[in-house]
Amino acid sequence: MCILCGEFVMDVHWSDFSPSYTGDKDMEVKVGSHQRDRKRNRLEKVRLVNDIFKHYHLKLEDWNGSKYVLRNAKGKSEIVNDLGALWPAVEKLSNMKPNPLNPELLKNLRETSEANV
Amino acid sequence: MFSQENKYPIFVVTGCLGSGKTTMLSKILSEEKMRNSAVLVNEFGSVGLDHHLLRNVEEKTVLMSGGCICCSTREDLEEELTKLLNEADASESKKMDRVIIETTGLADPAPIVFTVLKNPLLKHHFYVAGVVTVVDAVNGLLQLEKQEESVKQITGADKVVLSKLDLASREQIDGLKQRILDINPTVDLIVSPFEKLDAVQIINEERNEGLADYKHLNETSVMAQENPIHSVSLTFDKAINWSAFGLWLSMLLYARGEDILRVKGLIDVGQEGPVVLNGVQHIIHPPQHLSEWPSSDTRSHLIFIMRNVEKQEIIYSLETFQNFIGSGASMLEYANQL
Repeated sequence: MCILCGEFVMDVHWSDFSPSYTGDKDMEVKVGSHQRDRKRNRLEKVRLVNDIFKHYHLKLEDWNGSKYVLRNAKGKSEIVNDLGALWPAVEKLSNMKPNPLNPELLKNLRETSEANV
Repeated sequence: MFSQENKYPIFVVTGCLGSGKTTMLSKILSEEKMRNSAVLVNEFGSVGLDHHLLRNVEEKTVLMSGGCICCSTREDLEEELTKLLNEADASESKKMDRVIIETTGLADPAPIVFTVLKNPLLKHHFYVAGVVTVVDAVNGLLQLEKQEESVKQITGADKVVLSKLDLASREQIDGLKQRILDINPTVDLIVSPFEKLDAVQIINEERNEGLADYKHLNETSVMAQENPIHSVSLTFDKAINWSAFGLWLSMLLYARGEDILRVKGLIDVGQEGPVVLNGVQHIIHPPQHLSEWPSSDTRSHLIFIMRNVEKQEIIYSLETFQNFIGSGASMLEYANQL
């Protein structure tokens, strides 16, 4: 349950499985446990996503450790729960289909990483 | 959420009409250790199945809006699995150790996995432990050529059992074995007459995790060039950033999920043991973290079975993303020469 908006969150996306939660034999994600790791992972994910999203002119923000807010340059926004819901929102706000095999995206990423070296 | 403890395993048995699914099931269900298996069948074939926990279900598929066929839910299964769960909870005497689902000949196993993973009730009580595909040794090659469904049944399978071995010639069996391994090299192929089959060979949860053995996948054979379905086996020399990898893979599956027929991997995330990754099209099973590596090779391995996606496209993309992911990928054969 999201305590901010009352939405009942039923799904945990497979990518939210966190191998850094060592010590738990069964790797369960339990309410209230590993908050520090969880928060760190969310912020890291946001940082990575924003590096990639320069290509789509989009920006992602973590919203109170509960949801993500995706915005385009015109200020339109979408609220998403996880990576599963992120990609359709990217397509909607940027009018481009996110595809890691897209030569244009790969060219941009390579140029950015070369410029940073 | 990701734990498999206290959940009932589901085994999916699939295969073309007349391939021998029911005959195989009646053999293995007659064994004492399989007594507490609940069986759901989609159609009654010519061979009757005599089992005390047998139910017939009518296949009802509900396509999610905007989803492809693999992301559709099977309403019939939702209903029946819920009923089974209620009965198992209500009665002490009706013990249930596992559920076996026998599909129709044309069924795609992906929606079954999707149904169990997405239903808010079922996902806490069941998990898909394995997909077993029965292939008729006499007609198998022809079916794989003519029917797209039978190809999907192979790509989605963990185990493939050949049937009607006594009616097929040696050449037919060898040709079919080669074709099946060309489509899905990671599958556990069982070639044994039904009367000699042991239930444990088929209904077990061990997945073949020795992904380092698949370096031959990267050799481009003449047959593979003609075939739109091919595989690539990748290795990573450093630990992988799980968040970045999740980002890359979920993006790839969003864009090309219908063409990424299967993903299997053992991923080194910088912990003691690897993370086991298993996916069919858009659907990724909840990743499992192993406490130790299954072999002495502790590098990450990833296998893709793809249709109309070139190996080089995947490798180039992973190379570009390596700043994020933390390690570059290389095809296994080259990595071994280094």
